[in-house]
Amino acid sequence: MTSLLVPIKNGFSKSLNLILLLVKIIIPVSCLVALLKHFGIMELIAGFFAPAMALFGLPGEATLALLLSFFVNFYAALGAITAMTLTPQQMTVLAVMIGICHELPIETAVSSYTGLRIPAAAALRIITALSAGLLLNLIYSLAGGGS
Amino acid sequence: MEIISLLINTIIESLTSIAQLSLILIPILIMIEIARHYQVIEKMTDKIKGALRFLTLPGEAAFPMLAGIFFGIVLGAALIIEYSREGYLNKRDLLLIGIFLSICHSVVEDTLIFAVFGANPVVLLTTRLILAIIITRAVAYLLDRSGTKLA
Repeated sequence: MTSLLVPIKNGFSKSLNLILLLVKIIIPVSCLVALLKHFGIMELIAGFFAPAMALFGLPGEATLALLLSFFVNFYAALGAITAMTLTPQQMTVLAVMIGICHELPIETAVSSYTGLRIPAAAALRIITALSAGLLLNLIYSLAGGGS
Repeated sequence: MEIISLLINTIIESLTSIAQLSLILIPILIMIEIARHYQVIEKMTDKIKGALRFLTLPGEAAFPMLAGIFFGIVLGAALIIEYSREGYLNKRDLLLIGIFLSICHSVVEDTLIFAVFGANPVVLLTTRLILAIIITRAVAYLLDRSGTKLA
């Protein structure tokens, strides 16, 4: 049993570090989103991207979560998500897109060690994420009214 | 004044989400460490050889693939570099693993985090897995058919 203590301790200290990181990223991002909303800037962004986001069954606001995910990271996108209200279906579509495509600057550099060039990796992930969003929204709307 | 109360509310809301998230994150990360301790991945490698054959990848790909799928792309890539240095995997196999893991990695953590925010974990996981399999298989087919030699 004593040997189990080491991984438990490691896992715990890793989670504390991650939670600290979450605080550092999510709070500023959600404050930024709240301010963008307050000053009506979010409406402009959302309005501009609304037709594109409608393809995924998402509100225009979700643009910010996607962009933060692609170019900053997963957790910044969560910051934007905490400041929005989404249906479970919209949340699922958005989660699939973010899951496939996040933190491109760092992760494409890491994956380039496999011989997958950085621009190719970025294109692969962006295109896959967008197609997944389209496809999933299509399936949802065919399957059940797509409310 | 209005802005200050808006910001305070936002901070409270974010802290609440982070607290909810922590309830999931702490057990997951501890479980991942325990799995690593018991070398669960090493024990699983034999079981996915069939799936790897479908992706036209050799059995040697099992360990880096599983590590990437469960623990994340950084660890997956580190193992891949190690394996290629030791000559277990050729350039074609490496590229295919890179493509698969780009689309589908650290699935436990990512999936559960989004489940906390209300996403459907089953849809999330299957979509990512299916897309990774289809795209990797398609690239393998195109590479082999065109007879491309990766230098």
